[in-house]
Amino acid sequence: MKRSHLVLLLLVASMMGMFISFITSTSRSVGFDTAFADPGVEYKVSGTLVAAHPVEYDAQVNTNLTKFHLQDKQGDIREVWLQQSKPTGLERSESIDLYGYATAEGHFHATDMLMKCPSKYNEQNHLLETDV
Amino acid sequence: MEYLGEWLWAAHLGRALVALGFVSAMVATVSFVRGDISLGRKAFQTHALSTFAVIALIFVLFFGHRYEFQYIWKHLNNEMPMRFVLSAFWGGQEGGFLLWMFWHNVLALLVLWRADGWQREVMTVLSAIEMFLGVMLLGVYFGDFQLGLDPFMLVRQAPANLGLPWTARADYLTSIPQFADGQGLNPLLQNYWMTIHPPTLFLGFAATSVPFAYAIGALWRRDLTGWIQPALPWSFFGVGILGAGILMGGAWAYEALSFGGFWAWDPVENSSLVPWMVLVAGAHLLLINRNRKEPTALFSTLYLPVLAFLLVLYSTFLTKSGILGDTSVHSFVDSGILPQLLAYLLSFVALGHLMLLRHVETRKAYGGIALASLALVAAGFHALGILAFLAVMAAAAIRAFRRDLKTDAEEDALWSREFWMFVGSLLLVLGAIHITWQTSIPVFNHFLAPFSSVFTWAADLTGWDVMNTLAQHDMAPGTDLDRTYHLVQVPLAVLIFLMIGLTQWLKYKNTDIRTVRTKVLRAYIASAVVTGVLLWTYDFAWHEVPRVALMYATLFAAFSNADYFVQMWKGQLDALGSPLAHVGFALTIFGAVLSTAQKDIISLNRIGDISTLNEELNNNTDLLMMQGDTLPMGPYFVSYKERRQEGIHVLFDMDYYERTPKSYAQGDIVLAEGMVWQALEDHVASPLFDDDVEDRWNFLPFPTKAQTERATRWVNGTPGDLEFTLSPRIQLNARMGNAPEPDTRHFLTRDLYTHIKWGRVTPPETDEEGWLGGQSSSFAVGDSMFVGGVLLTIDSLRVIRDEERADRGLLDDDLALAACLGLRRGRTVEVHDPLYIVRGNTVVPDLYEAEGWGLRFRIDAFNPADETLDMVVWEHQSVRRDFVVMQAVIFPQINWLWIGCILMTLGSFLAVRFRLRQRKTSRRGH
Repeated sequence: MKRSHLVLLLLVASMMGMFISFITSTSRSVGFDTAFADPGVEYKVSGTLVAAHPVEYDAQVNTNLTKFHLQDKQGDIREVWLQQSKPTGLERSESIDLYGYATAEGHFHATDMLMKCPSKYNEQNHLLETDV
Repeated sequence: MEYLGEWLWAAHLGRALVALGFVSAMVATVSFVRGDISLGRKAFQTHALSTFAVIALIFVLFFGHRYEFQYIWKHLNNEMPMRFVLSAFWGGQEGGFLLWMFWHNVLALLVLWRADGWQREVMTVLSAIEMFLGVMLLGVYFGDFQLGLDPFMLVRQAPANLGLPWTARADYLTSIPQFADGQGLNPLLQNYWMTIHPPTLFLGFAATSVPFAYAIGALWRRDLTGWIQPALPWSFFGVGILGAGILMGGAWAYEALSFGGFWAWDPVENSSLVPWMVLVAGAHLLLINRNRKEPTALFSTLYLPVLAFLLVLYSTFLTKSGILGDTSVHSFVDSGILPQLLAYLLSFVALGHLMLLRHVETRKAYGGIALASLALVAAGFHALGILAFLAVMAAAAIRAFRRDLKTDAEEDALWSREFWMFVGSLLLVLGAIHITWQTSIPVFNHFLAPFSSVFTWAADLTGWDVMNTLAQHDMAPGTDLDRTYHLVQVPLAVLIFLMIGLTQWLKYKNTDIRTVRTKVLRAYIASAVVTGVLLWTYDFAWHEVPRVALMYATLFAAFSNADYFVQMWKGQLDALGSPLAHVGFALTIFGAVLSTAQKDIISLNRIGDISTLNEELNNNTDLLMMQGDTLPMGPYFVSYKERRQEGIHVLFDMDYYERTPKSYAQGDIVLAEGMVWQALEDHVASPLFDDDVEDRWNFLPFPTKAQTERATRWVNGTPGDLEFTLSPRIQLNARMGNAPEPDTRHFLTRDLYTHIKWGRVTPPETDEEGWLGGQSSSFAVGDSMFVGGVLLTIDSLRVIRDEERADRGLLDDDLALAACLGLRRGRTVEVHDPLYIVRGNTVVPDLYEAEGWGLRFRIDAFNPADETLDMVVWEHQSVRRDFVVMQAVIFPQINWLWIGCILMTLGSFLAVRFRLRQRKTSRRGH
């Protein structure tokens, strides 16, 4: 076997692996309409926290259940049951990605969640703009 | 107008220094290009001096608390201890660039001082890089377009504040209270890791530019081998420092942030790891060619150092431009400098790729086309133009690979060191490509956008889902790390480590493989034995075969290199940097894989088996701890002792007690899994009730009252001596929201890592009588819940009898239902019966207080169909106990990771020293 053959073999094999990992892992976010048309199937939904509804978390009842409302990119609002203790900074989040499925009861059951919070290098002069 | 009390001179001086720095870098670049070395040297020294002066001036402003400067106002306040002033300095973009420039200047001055034969070429490139970095600080506005971020901008001059009434007041500094104090450094950065991690990482970033400059110089001179010797120590210096910087970032995440680990495949982490991998590959190719008369794989040898630097720029672009936007858990900055970061990146991409071409004419031709494609960007077709530009660059690289840098050296022998070093480097690069690909998905979306309609059309035509995905151009990197990263990275790593183990024993040119076989035999056996022990000790599932393979491979690499180290040891460390670094690298990955794969979340919630309210408790990883309770947790008993505040931290003291085994005697009655059991024989409890239930316990389906009262909760141990106290904290952070910080107990063979998932930082609100806000829940008969320390059960529902009516204040026509609530605290049990009253058509709210229990109830609704009731429960502050929700994880064998880090860094520096000495002797020899 020549050196170049071995190298080629490795290249091809890892390219295939990369392709598989890319195809199977990349998720696309959908709106609530898609998720609720297909209850029980896992989807990723992105949106923002609806401040008008309170975030419900009672550790004494269930340590791993947080309820809140999310508005998706199309503007639909649904109640979300997140199967986790209340994430730090949820109320301050700018956007939220949920991974989970729609339930027949009408809420979205999220098993995992990613948040984007205001930048730690936040360059806004909130103080001076509002108070002075 | 004259403003009072401003250090306006500092702003003027600072801006003048920034401008001087930029101009002198430009002069230096031009002089070095034209070959005027002495002018170039002077210009560069001026540049370095002015950069250092800028930095010094900013520190003066920090120490003077000059809040009229925006940068100071944002990153400092009166409270902040001055030991965090370094963190504050690089807390913002401007400081980040300055830190980078600082190291870059230090390295460039070293190059100047050594003044080897490559000074002109190397300094041209380094000065050009400095020139581009200098632009980032200019802070000049062309209309709305902002060029650079001015570190000396006064708050009143910030675009957001222009024209606001207060900016017209001459005495604004004294009359407006906001200027008495700054916003302060984000508390997340007030951490000693933040004082050492950024400078190390930026030194590593800066170090990649020197091999880059040598490679460009070689291409410029078309002396494709002479640069290898001087570039080698710089490359290994970069490998060592960048590696240390990345690992310090991991240590910071592990020690100070509540990520739950040291590596999360986050874009920020990935974009610093990738240049390191490419640099390591490049440095090994340099080694191959240093030992040859006829160069081989010249294209890769030159291209990888170039690529490593370009990837550093790309990393800066990704993390500072805001392009990653919504797809990362980390926050990213969008400071409006995306266009110039992109210009910076593309300029050096062009330089690096065009220089690969041999003839000036071809360079001009390719450059011309690239420039033309950038005209598309100017015309508004951003993605299309950049895509075309990158295509031209790729074409240039391919041309160089196939023609301009083609070598016709003989193929290496199969069992030569250089062959396997080459294959290993190639695998590293493949791994780097994969990580870059997954990290860049948000960038790809921008490129896909213009072709959206094409993909929609293709989707209609073919019906493929993937076409729709592409048309939507909102792909996100997966969250399943196994599929997103490990699927590719683990097999690659297995191969790489097997090669590391083997290649150390191979000789350059050719080796008799039979002698090597006997040499690696020991490492082979030792690693197989240790892997066997690990399989015996820890539980691995079948799908973890790749992980186990990786642990085997890392062990093999570690043993093999350690063996080599011992065999070659002749009282001198000099030539032994390489095996040491390889042992370190292997141990780092070994520790990372084992501790992550076998991490044991011991804070499973044990309240779950009493509470029937919640069915879905399968992924409970968090433990609810009432103050004063002592709960079993993994190999310990834990007790939440108290909450206290220290500065900006609220600490939760958790006592950890040794667990002593619990023995049960025949006839003992326990409560487990919601049922009553009697012991069949004397025994010591197993860790899990399930292990004992078959042979040792008899289920009592109808326990008598006496038996029920005797029943205690089944436990597998009792608390023994106090072993230690951990104080996980919550950092009070008004700017970012309160943030949890872990507390970790380090042992030789494991770490106990704990952090607070939820906790009160202030006492709860109550009404005037001390009642807390009520909570409404739906109950059915048989349900139970904890209210503070009280276990509440809904025992039964009954209709109120006529003779009771008078006592309970009911009218004859009222319909009334009583809910019998069992309240239990410790051994005390009482039954209370709040009422649900319907008078005529309306529900009469009836507030019921359980005296002595500090509880109040009100039944708001009763649903006859499924016999559930909605009830509000209030708790009085006198009985309320504080509680936290915490998570505790055991990371086994994690110390190998840190030992590995230290060995790897040490080995890299030994290699640098060795190469430097080698260079001296080889120079003397000429």
